[in-house]
Amino acid sequence: MATAPHTWLRLVPSCRSYSKATRLHKIDYPWKDEPKPHWVRQFEARRVDADLTPENRDWLRQWRLQRVRDAVASSSEAAAAASPLKEPPAARPLWTPRVSQRCGLVGIKLGILPMWYRNGQKVHTTVVQIPDQRVLRWVPPEDLGNYASLREMRPYRLNQSFLPRWLTQQRWGLQLVGAVPADPANFTAQWCGIFKAAGLPPMRKISRFLVSPDASLQPGACLGLHHFRVGDCVDVVARTVNRGFQGVMERHLMEGGPAAHGSTKFHRKMGSAAGGGGPIYRGKRMPGVMGNRFRAARSLPVLRVNTKHRLLFIKGFTPGPPHSYCQIMDSWMLDVRRSLDANPPPMPTYFAEDAPEGGYPEDVYHPDLLPYDQPLELPD
Amino acid sequence: HPARDATSAISSSWQLRPVPGLQVPLRLPSDRRPPVRRFACPASIAAASAAASPAVPPGPPLAPAGIARVYKPRLSPEAMKEFWRLSGIGPDHSRAKAADQQAEVPPEIKRLYQEALPPIVSQDYRDPIVESLHRAEMMRRRRVINIPEFHVGSILAVSVMDKHAPNKVNRFVGLCILRRHTGLFTTFTLRNMVDQVCVQIEYELYSPSIVSIQLLKLERRLDDNLLYLMDAPHSHCTIPFDMVPEPYSRNDPVPVNRERVRLNPPPWMCKWHLHGYQGIDLEHLYSYLSDKDVAKAIEFSKAYKRYDLLDQYLNRVPVPDADYAFKDIFIQHQELLQHQQQQQQQSSKKSEVISKLTGTV
Repeated sequence: MATAPHTWLRLVPSCRSYSKATRLHKIDYPWKDEPKPHWVRQFEARRVDADLTPENRDWLRQWRLQRVRDAVASSSEAAAAASPLKEPPAARPLWTPRVSQRCGLVGIKLGILPMWYRNGQKVHTTVVQIPDQRVLRWVPPEDLGNYASLREMRPYRLNQSFLPRWLTQQRWGLQLVGAVPADPANFTAQWCGIFKAAGLPPMRKISRFLVSPDASLQPGACLGLHHFRVGDCVDVVARTVNRGFQGVMERHLMEGGPAAHGSTKFHRKMGSAAGGGGPIYRGKRMPGVMGNRFRAARSLPVLRVNTKHRLLFIKGFTPGPPHSYCQIMDSWMLDVRRSLDANPPPMPTYFAEDAPEGGYPEDVYHPDLLPYDQPLELPD
Repeated sequence: HPARDATSAISSSWQLRPVPGLQVPLRLPSDRRPPVRRFACPASIAAASAAASPAVPPGPPLAPAGIARVYKPRLSPEAMKEFWRLSGIGPDHSRAKAADQQAEVPPEIKRLYQEALPPIVSQDYRDPIVESLHRAEMMRRRRVINIPEFHVGSILAVSVMDKHAPNKVNRFVGLCILRRHTGLFTTFTLRNMVDQVCVQIEYELYSPSIVSIQLLKLERRLDDNLLYLMDAPHSHCTIPFDMVPEPYSRNDPVPVNRERVRLNPPPWMCKWHLHGYQGIDLEHLYSYLSDKDVAKAIEFSKAYKRYDLLDQYLNRVPVPDADYAFKDIFIQHQELLQHQQQQQQQSSKKSEVISKLTGTV
């Protein structure tokens, strides 16, 4: 290993039709893909309180859930719109080309719905639901060096790679977002303490986004469905489907051996692991768990928005099984970023004052998309 | 798991469903208890035991009053009825009776909207919101085009948009040999002979490039698919392109064509004897096979799958989910009929206005 390999991003194929050359060259370490904060235990074992009758136990649970609902409702956009004492966000930041990077949303992938374009072409859309979510914390770029989970240097040493630019250049900060508020009795006191400073109930999912300081949000701010508009291109980051322990032929597309012609117990094996009596180098491709890794699907347009069920219809396929979390953010692809300069999105996020007159209809379609209740009209 | 919280407005939790359609009769608490054997006690022994131990006057029961409720739980009749309704069996273990009791939806809905059933996949891959979206979009598409009821074995004429065709429309007539997938992914395959060449075309039922679907003959066959016609004489799937549609009534049951097809001699595209087809002439088929293959085919046809509980559980839609889907579709079907009536009224008004303006009657 004379030179340090580049840390370029490639999409790892989950099926054998992709070529071998597009595999990543990254080395695993145990806590690599653990959801952060992995140093805080999230779930608490349910306490069986023998002194409580079942009816009282249920009543107390409903009381806790109602408090969670009230805490969430007080910081929602509806409450902000209804209150006569609301203060509009003072001096909303402007979209600055090549500088601004907005926060993203946490979504739950539900399934796939096929649709058709107005030219008759078929397109598969991933249905993603945007649950209740609030901003937890803002970590400015200058504090990134002190941030606990970013001080782990071992992965860069193992991979002989450079630190990522977002860490060295410190142009972006970390925005922590919590999603899916839940019953506090499910969680440890330490986990609930993370949300206490923001005045929020504990949530099941914490995500972090790389956000520029001009688009930062303060704790408690509400992130909603209309943060993304129809036509915006997004990146969707999620954990891929866990395919379990797989052999090298499935996992690394190795050739294996001949099925016949006298082959003795060599059909699906790896073969040699090293050469000339030398050591087996770190990162040697071997059998192991396949999938369950964070991967990104880049530059997918939002084709439709459903306000009734809080759904985004994103073109194409995203990583992960149904009912898994995903992160959705403005695409990092350069052509998408340049197109946003002409048509800037709501900065720093969508507020009630951005709503059009009369509100949004139940379904907002992309102009190229054909709704099912309209007939197809092909040009002659 | 994100889908198990009451506070979040997302899909509700999945509950374990009872196994539907069990053929094995269920052991209920009231019946099937072994009879208590009572022996006649000889009088001498009874007298000796009475003398040995003084008779204890019968007093109050020693166990507390509520112990029977705790240690011998009994299901209320309402709970039992609900269990039978969900599992598809009744007190007399007849599934048909329970199904009729469940059916608040008319049977024509189940015939017309066969693809409204949710897909038979693992519960991890199913979502109620996505399924309801599929059903809503299906009904929206049916406001634009009339999709008739058809089964495998029916004859259809499908017109699709084709920019290279002279009239911009391409019409194909064929026998439906396959119908698969659910919801908006539903596809059907038509087969016909065109210039002595076998042609099979697969159409997506909800594609907007389909201009019209015309039912020429409503019929059902003995099998779910007719793929064996690929190895059958071409006379079985030769349908004239100018076939006149045969009238049918929605209230009548779908006629079943019980013909048995004689296949061509092997080699075949597939081992047709191993799939349980009823529409093939089996005696004629077995005459082409060796004794070993015939034994294998007969072994397959012994229908062990009737006793394979896991196979039954994995390969059928749970009854409550099917109920919910058809009820949802039934409501939207009634709205569709209203929409069609309004459209007819508008078109008749238009024709009246046009006739007045032009002076025609």
